[in-house]
Amino acid sequence: MIPATSTGSRCAPVRVRVSLLAALLCLGAAGCAFDVSRLQKTPTRFEAEQAGAEWILNEDVTIWLGTGFPTKLRKNTHWSMVGKVPEGDVFRTHDQLVTAEASNIYEAWPVMQADLLVGFYLPVEHAFAAARPPVQLARSQGGGT
Amino acid sequence: MRKRRHLLKSLCSLALVTVLLGCATGKTFSELSGGLTPPPPGQGRIFIYRTIVLGFAVQPSVKLNGDVVGTAVPQGFFYVDRPAGVYQISTETEVTRTLSLTLEPEQVRYVRLGIGMGFFVGHVYPELVDDAQGQADVATCHYTGT
Repeated sequence: MIPATSTGSRCAPVRVRVSLLAALLCLGAAGCAFDVSRLQKTPTRFEAEQAGAEWILNEDVTIWLGTGFPTKLRKNTHWSMVGKVPEGDVFRTHDQLVTAEASNIYEAWPVMQADLLVGFYLPVEHAFAAARPPVQLARSQGGGT
Repeated sequence: MRKRRHLLKSLCSLALVTVLLGCATGKTFSELSGGLTPPPPGQGRIFIYRTIVLGFAVQPSVKLNGDVVGTAVPQGFFYVDRPAGVYQISTETEVTRTLSLTLEPEQVRYVRLGIGMGFFVGHVYPELVDDAQGQADVATCHYTGT
């Protein structure tokens, strides 16, 4: 004869396992539903500049910011320098929309160090989001927006 | 068997009516556009719209810098005129989704309200779209503003 306590002790781990599994499933599902992707950004200081450098992008470019969402820059878009942040020179275009996307979406302006796109300036958040990895851009002089 | 078929028909009809009731019914953009005045000097305009009927029961308020400016009604649009500056547009279901954007004087921006999967309910999220896409989308929507 098996004592009642013994039966209870044999069943308990199963119940515990089922409960744990249910809890994990709930947490997983909740994780899927809520903030699944966050954009890593650091506060920065923007200084506006008028009549800066201008260039044209020679090829389509995809930039990753570690959020799982790409930011794409289109070939033949015209870019003008609008200011500086400590991380580099900031450019804008009127030829396409540029956003950095995670669970939330941010308008984003490319930040360049020479021909290297190192990240984006977020004008609403006054923050910098680094490209992972930085991307070399093929560009030609001229243009204007 | 006949009863079942009748019940199925009734349920389908009910579902269709519910979906239609959940959609915007105001004037279309083309009916309204003649009466649309440009934004006041120094201000820009933000069109906010939702084309997707999927998840029609989920119609959260749309906030602009924390103030409610409209509702995410399927196939509906509204617009706000605001001084040039920086803005955050947000919707709240079981989570809050935010879009950050800049607005210049006389600039017109288009914000589409998409819908994504959620745990209990769908998530309505604002996204910036380019002018050509925004104009085409808004043309199919009904005005829900006041």
